[in-house]
Amino acid sequence: MNRTGPTPPQPEALQILRARAQALARPPESELAPQASVEVLEFRLATERYAIETHYVREVQPLKNLTTLPCTPPFVLGIVNVRGRIVPVLDLRKFFDLPEQGLTDLHRVILVGGNDLEFGLLADMRVGVRSIALDSLQPAPATLSEIGAGYLMGVAAEGLVVLDMARILADPAILVHEEVKS
Amino acid sequence: MDDEFLRQLRATFKVEADEHLQSISNGLMALDRTSAPRARSEIVEAMFRAAHSLKGAAKAVDLTAIEMLCQSIESVFASWRRQNSTPPPMARDTLHRTLDAIGSSLAAPAEACGMVAPALASSLRQSLSQLEFSPSLASTPAPSAPGAVHASPALSGDPPTKPVVVAVRESDRSAPKETVRVAVAKLESQLLEAEEMLAAKLAAAQQEAELRKLAGRFAVWRKAWLAAEPDAQVLRHAPEGGAGDASRHAHSALPRLLDFFDVSLDTLKWLEDKTGALVRAAEQDRHAFGKLADDLLEHAKKLLLLPFATISASFPKLVRDLCRDQGKEADLTIRGEDVEIDKRILEEMKDPLVHLLRNSVDHGIELPAERTRLGKPSRAAITLVVSRLDGNKVQLSLSDDGAGIDLAKVKESALRRGLLSPGEAGQLDDSAAQALIFLSDVSTSPTVSRLSGRGLGLPIVREKAEKLGGEVSVESSAGTGTTFRMLLPATRAAFRGIVVVVAGRLMVVPTAQVERAIRVKPVDIQTIEGHETISYQGRAVPLVQMADVLELPPVERDPAVHAGGASVLILGTGDVHIAFTVDAVLDELEVLVKPLRKPLSRVRNIAAATVLGSGQVAPILNVSDLLMSASRPGSVKVRAPAVASRPGIATRSILIAEDSITSRMLLKAILESAGHIVKTAVDGLDAFSQLRTEHFDLLVSDVEMPRLNGFDLTARIRSDPKLSDLPVVLVTALDTREDRERGVDAGANAYIVKSGFEQGNLLEAVQRLV
Repeated sequence: MNRTGPTPPQPEALQILRARAQALARPPESELAPQASVEVLEFRLATERYAIETHYVREVQPLKNLTTLPCTPPFVLGIVNVRGRIVPVLDLRKFFDLPEQGLTDLHRVILVGGNDLEFGLLADMRVGVRSIALDSLQPAPATLSEIGAGYLMGVAAEGLVVLDMARILADPAILVHEEVKS
Repeated sequence: MDDEFLRQLRATFKVEADEHLQSISNGLMALDRTSAPRARSEIVEAMFRAAHSLKGAAKAVDLTAIEMLCQSIESVFASWRRQNSTPPPMARDTLHRTLDAIGSSLAAPAEACGMVAPALASSLRQSLSQLEFSPSLASTPAPSAPGAVHASPALSGDPPTKPVVVAVRESDRSAPKETVRVAVAKLESQLLEAEEMLAAKLAAAQQEAELRKLAGRFAVWRKAWLAAEPDAQVLRHAPEGGAGDASRHAHSALPRLLDFFDVSLDTLKWLEDKTGALVRAAEQDRHAFGKLADDLLEHAKKLLLLPFATISASFPKLVRDLCRDQGKEADLTIRGEDVEIDKRILEEMKDPLVHLLRNSVDHGIELPAERTRLGKPSRAAITLVVSRLDGNKVQLSLSDDGAGIDLAKVKESALRRGLLSPGEAGQLDDSAAQALIFLSDVSTSPTVSRLSGRGLGLPIVREKAEKLGGEVSVESSAGTGTTFRMLLPATRAAFRGIVVVVAGRLMVVPTAQVERAIRVKPVDIQTIEGHETISYQGRAVPLVQMADVLELPPVERDPAVHAGGASVLILGTGDVHIAFTVDAVLDELEVLVKPLRKPLSRVRNIAAATVLGSGQVAPILNVSDLLMSASRPGSVKVRAPAVASRPGIATRSILIAEDSITSRMLLKAILESAGHIVKTAVDGLDAFSQLRTEHFDLLVSDVEMPRLNGFDLTARIRSDPKLSDLPVVLVTALDTREDRERGVDAGANAYIVKSGFEQGNLLEAVQRLV
């Protein structure tokens, strides 16, 4: 460090610095009201950004060695091996019946679980974990009505679609149980 | 108390409570059959302790209703203990009712768990309070039989008719082993991890084989080198001579070439040595690692061995309740309760055993009056014996001294259901006739009870046993009784499967259900009433495409591959056989069966999955589903024999280079559905080497790929004399004008942007270019 460089700070400068320090020391708003927010994992799927509560997320893995499974509904993309367990990988766009546009390189699987179910969700990339104030969530705009309000917690700032994993996990439609009809 | 914490505590409580209820229930039944005063007081003592423990445990988790009921039960036992006399039969019924009430309240989900209806609770407590011993209630003490000390197996040796006295185990005087309570789920995940090591072991073997192949290449090189070496010597020692520029030029180049020759020799020798060392190291690793993995798996399997008593504990009560309902009398004796069996096999066997027990009581043993008339003791004896056999097998045999199987009725039922012709029925010997009861729809009973008599139970028993790799047989003689024998593996047997290719995908068929794998030439196929059949063992067997049955898109096949005939698996059991055509039969292996989990609760035609040695996951097919699916009308299509079928579009062979697995699958599906033969590569380098070794009509390539990107791959193709004319379609996420220009500069014939991708674009481009 060069000791001869800067001149000693002026009183006004000190005052400004003190004010800045105080502003920085103030806890962020989310910490002020922790009960009113949820921690979510944000990810990209095609052109959309989605988020799910981290509570349901077990891990995020690169997608490799996917094996397709015949005789399953279209939303079941296939199965993967996660440390010895065979886990289905689901495509939410197909489950929600969203129109698919373009060709996307889906490189990630978000492993989620709860309600005795465990599966992977297909994603382009994991954006990150963040906290969202529940009262900042808006109802779904008309363009997202295809998903059906039932599966959404709401839409956060910048169009981030927050999925209601509890509802999805409890939805019988996600269960695959088919016998051969004779 | 924290709700979540309380919930966890209650889950633990439930397990503990079930054990206590079971031991009280068993104690009550043991009391019925035990006459020696000392043994009886030990049983009462054990029941008292169980009730006391249950009371304490219920209090700890705030289940007051159960706590109070246990208090009442405890008081009853305490009074019996003091008086040491025989309680009346009604006492046992009241106690059983109380135990049932507690048991069913515990079986209730979440919030209701452990809640006994107040009215029920108070009426039970009322009845219980009347059971506390008063001399007026006592019935005559049972006569004491000499030598009937069943209390402690350790003391009594192993009497052949040792009754079920689980409750008394607590007073076992053999040295206690140190034990620890571990959740079964933890052990199961331990086993899964150990099983996973088997895949790692297979992978190690595969790697060693690869290294060996690599080392083998050096032998080829060495041979070539030995052949070339004399020539090098000649050149090295050739006298300088000749004249002219060319010759001088050659002379100055020669030493450099010979130097390079020497360097190459050194390098290759060094590589050869190193590779040799690697092969040896890999071999040692595989040995050491293989042994570790085997041991680990073996030990993990042992962790899941549980004594047979874990499922049989409820059987005495079951028989008692069934007898009470039907006015019959029977004692169940269970021997070999300490034989250890894999938990997963035990779980699978419980229902079949329950069924056999019901069967014994419902159809086997006679009413007491009838038995007396026949000169048999009025109480029937049902015996369940579990024994360990050689070769990791256990035998369960369940005998009763009832009426035996009425073979005439069995034959009649089989005749009625059309399973047998009258001629066949006449020729059937006794054991063959007895085996008929394992067929569906055959029943000797004119009435149907809740579980038995429908002719469904025994086939299910057989199916379960066979699924576990076991077998079941029956012996019966009219008037003296019936014995069912089940032979089962004690630990889960290794599962063998045949690896096949169906519509380009790897799948596994359980070897046990494959009758034969054969090759079928077109001339062997006959079309009968619009269905293809082949002749197998003198019978016409339907021939179907496995891909059709599995609802997979048809893949156009290379006719050259099929010149030797199609690969066909004949699947089926008993009389039902169907032949399934597959792309290829690759191998037969020992595989690990991995269940599919929820949300995949049941998938048509797929039984489970497995991880192959290469690390790839492959589905295991469900043969009985396949047979049903194939028999459905409409599923068996007659295929046009020609390979290319679509008018206007010629079949082309196309290579897709794409690192994203999902995009690769989508592109492949689109091109295949348009009738093309499609192969895939995972990056540019992989694509280039495939292009060099095999002929393709067109390349569809991604741009952003590891190792060699799409631009560079295109450039390389254009500069390769053999490939320079190959049409190239780039499919990419890069959407700027510069990127397009770069693609065109590199020599791509078409450029499709992923964000605007549509099936039509691609097919149009492909059609335009080939």
